[in-house]
Amino acid sequence: MGNKQTIFTAQQLDAYQDCTYFTRKEILRLFYRYRDLAPQLVPLDYTNHPDVKLPYELIGSMPELKDNPFRQRIAEVFSEDGEGNMTLDDFLDMFSVLSEMAPRDLKAYYAFKIYDFNNDDFICKSDLEKTLNKLTRNELTEDEVRMVCEKVIDEADLDNDGRLSLEDFQHMIVRAPDFLSTFHIRI
Amino acid sequence: MRRMSMFPNADHTQTAFTEDAIWNEMQNEQQNLLEELAALSTRDRIQAIRDLPMSFKEKKHIRKELELQSSKKSRQFTCLADCSEKLSLFSRKCGYHVKSAKQTLKLWQGAMKSIGGKFGTSVLTYFVFLKWLLMFNIFSFLVNFGFVTIPLLVYKQTPNISQIVNNVPQNVTFRGLEILTGAGYFKYTVMYYGSYSNESLVGYNMQLAYFFTIAVYMVLCGISLIFSMAVNFKNNYVLADSASNSAWQLLCTWDFSVTNEKAVKQRRNNLCVQLKESLSETAQQERLSVSEKLKHYGINFGCWLLSTSLAFGCAASIYYLCKYEIEATKNDNWSLLEEAKTLLVPFVVSLINLVIPLFYSLFNKFEHYSTHRKQIYVLLIRNVFLKMSILSVLCYYWMNKVPAKGSGWESMVGQSLYRLVLFDFLFLMLGSFFGEFLSKWTKLIPRMGVPEFDVARNVLELIYSQTLAWIGIYFSPLLPAMQIFKFFILFYLKKVSLTHNCQPPRRSGRAAQMQTIFIFLLFFPFFVGALSIVAYTAWSLTPSKSCGPFRGLNNSFSAVDVWIDDLKNITGSQWVVEIYNNVIRSEIFYFLITLIILVIIYILWQVTNGRKELIRRLRQQIVNEGKDKSFLLERLQDLQKSIPNKSMKQHSYDHSSGDQSNSNAMVQALLARQQLEEEEKRYSIGGVPVPSEMSNSSSLMQAMLARQLADQENEDQYPMHDENPSSSSTLAQAMAARNRVEDEDNNQYDIFNRSSAVTQAMQARRRAEDTEDDMGDLPHPVSSVMMQVMQARQQAQEDDRIQWMTAPPQNPGPSGSSALIQAMLARQAAQNEYDDGY
Repeated sequence: MGNKQTIFTAQQLDAYQDCTYFTRKEILRLFYRYRDLAPQLVPLDYTNHPDVKLPYELIGSMPELKDNPFRQRIAEVFSEDGEGNMTLDDFLDMFSVLSEMAPRDLKAYYAFKIYDFNNDDFICKSDLEKTLNKLTRNELTEDEVRMVCEKVIDEADLDNDGRLSLEDFQHMIVRAPDFLSTFHIRI
Repeated sequence: MRRMSMFPNADHTQTAFTEDAIWNEMQNEQQNLLEELAALSTRDRIQAIRDLPMSFKEKKHIRKELELQSSKKSRQFTCLADCSEKLSLFSRKCGYHVKSAKQTLKLWQGAMKSIGGKFGTSVLTYFVFLKWLLMFNIFSFLVNFGFVTIPLLVYKQTPNISQIVNNVPQNVTFRGLEILTGAGYFKYTVMYYGSYSNESLVGYNMQLAYFFTIAVYMVLCGISLIFSMAVNFKNNYVLADSASNSAWQLLCTWDFSVTNEKAVKQRRNNLCVQLKESLSETAQQERLSVSEKLKHYGINFGCWLLSTSLAFGCAASIYYLCKYEIEATKNDNWSLLEEAKTLLVPFVVSLINLVIPLFYSLFNKFEHYSTHRKQIYVLLIRNVFLKMSILSVLCYYWMNKVPAKGSGWESMVGQSLYRLVLFDFLFLMLGSFFGEFLSKWTKLIPRMGVPEFDVARNVLELIYSQTLAWIGIYFSPLLPAMQIFKFFILFYLKKVSLTHNCQPPRRSGRAAQMQTIFIFLLFFPFFVGALSIVAYTAWSLTPSKSCGPFRGLNNSFSAVDVWIDDLKNITGSQWVVEIYNNVIRSEIFYFLITLIILVIIYILWQVTNGRKELIRRLRQQIVNEGKDKSFLLERLQDLQKSIPNKSMKQHSYDHSSGDQSNSNAMVQALLARQQLEEEEKRYSIGGVPVPSEMSNSSSLMQAMLARQLADQENEDQYPMHDENPSSSSTLAQAMAARNRVEDEDNNQYDIFNRSSAVTQAMQARRRAEDTEDDMGDLPHPVSSVMMQVMQARQQAQEDDRIQWMTAPPQNPGPSGSSALIQAMLARQAAQNEYDDGY
């Protein structure tokens, strides 16, 4: 117990527990994971809210993210500065949303943000093309990419504005039960 | 409750003016959010904070605000509130501790993570299922051991009784083969039904304990199966549809839990193949000629015939083997050879279970199905049929032939179940050794490549062995112990075999739906079958005369009768007897219960139908709104193009606003907005928080709104000036309605862009139209769309003229635009009416 107290105050831990889906133990485990990325940067004492930010290069090299085609987007979406540099809070936030406990709507909201590459609050054709290229590594021909994107929009775009809004996306997620288990990173 | 970040598109807000507006908006929204959250109980509030799609910092801020509020409140009240606050804090902390304790108890977390990382979620379902079954068996073992076996062991230890109880006879020794056959020495241990006593041990009624332990266990199993099945169906089946295949493949299938480089590469390739297939699928469907279709049907029919006859053949051969076993093991004291003969049936059964499914998979390769899912389902149905026919033959044999052999037949059934469970285990090991290890090492058939991990086949094997354990629970109460051991080993075996020899399945499939189907299969033919076998045994078969807890009774259930008879003599327990006689034993009761359940089912079915209809309509509504939105957007874009010449025209004959007309639409909107605010102050009309974005269309929207307000003002200033009363009063109503929308619609978050502004305007207009209808003080709109548009246009034009006469400088919007917007709004109204007409 003594060890725990030196890293966070009880109030800090309470706040973390109230705002994420993690237990005390998991929060500490995640802290150590975070610290292991750069032991010389991250202090062992977080009681006075040190302003520490790990650069994206370190976050993206975690084994959980290393091979994920969307790793950069994930880091960007969850980092406060939008460039993938993460504080501990951002880090906890990210894994909290990607944990098993997070509800479908929350997951869908962040998944939408991840797929929305140009941050215009819509998944438009260019976003879909980017997603497709990330997923298939440019193995489809241009024609095929175009056809797939058209088909996706055709299927999921309910209000016919030629792009997917958050509502369209959520509507699709509701009908795809696997999403809950696939949008999940075990820590 | 849905609420988006309080800082949406913060980088889009550049000017101080819009920042102000957004800041106000945000403050409002946050206040609303805080009020909403404060109304919840502590527990719900925390959950709601967690579910907010905001960053940790914002959540923390909100949490702090809430705490401040509640501490202010508790200061006002007495210590009672303080106490309850502390209590809730304490319970929350307890909850956290329980949660973390639960987490420590979770089995195989690391292993699950690595499997998920390498093979994805669909393979993981097998292991999750395995773990779930293991939990069932651990529970069953604890219950049986605790309530049945321990009392017996304690009783046996009592010195003066231990001579009477039939212990292992002198001439029976442990020979080693028992481990395989479960007979001989084991027959006299607590493993089987036969060695349990029927006496009341110091107030502990063994008969009742045995009966109720098994009954309660089966009922609990059934309840938990039904429960998890219902939850799974609700989550995975009800709303799922296969229509949006591409969208699903692209946006929902990527498995974020996969962390292995090789697996990621493979998934990419698979996705590529699947996407290409789905693109060519439609073309392929059309190309099929009649003769090809006939050929496919023929092959399907042939495969069905072949697989069904194979299943029947297997069942028949097992039946004859069982008959042979009875002949071979007639006398009581078995020689070693006779004991070995008993191994024949389990050997053959397990062999069939290992080999025939492979044949089925082979058939499947020749068949052609339109979708991969259909193919899997067909394979599943055939395998289930095979396993069911084997089990039903065995059960028939156990229920009809074995009891005829006389005393101790329950133990014999228990032994054959023991052998089946054991051989099933051995063959599972052999199967994964030959099927997965060997084919990898020797590369016997290089054409087939690295074997895939077949989730469906493996899960069916698990279901089969669990069914054996359920049937055996009556005959051999400690069978779950074996099952625990078996599943435990199997987990590691499969994990090793998987990581060394298999590749992840090429098609990811819909894992969540497959899992639902597995649970359904476990419940429906298998659990229900096992339950009915056990129930039949307990109600209809005569227990052995000389051994077991129910010796001397007509059937096991009469133990309860005897108990009730005993209770009659005890005063104070009459009510139990009454309940037993009037409820449990009366047909009327069951008849009524069935009737009530049927009625409830019917009502719920109707409710479901109603909901389906509702969903269909809501979907239609979304589509309609989308159409409206795109129509409006189109119009606005047209407008954008026509703005420059419009303003030029205005300039030519509107001298009083000459300095304004030169500036672009944006500046006009800004000025309009300022004017609006001034007017608001003067007339103290409810303000309209206008979401702004620096795009032309949204400034046009602002212009429109400003114009509307100006209209309203006109009306206020010139109440008698009613050349066009309907137009201006409608607009006033629209404004008021828009305010209402802004105030009331807390759930709606604002995406600050043009479409949301347009939608809001539309909503406002709708509401205005509704109130119009309610009040009935205006001429009822003609239901033809064209008529409405025409009218609106005319009105707008008249209106424009009046505007220029009365307050020209306050008219920032180009005249044409307002006419068009009104026309659009009129169209919306007409559409509404059209919808209402249905």
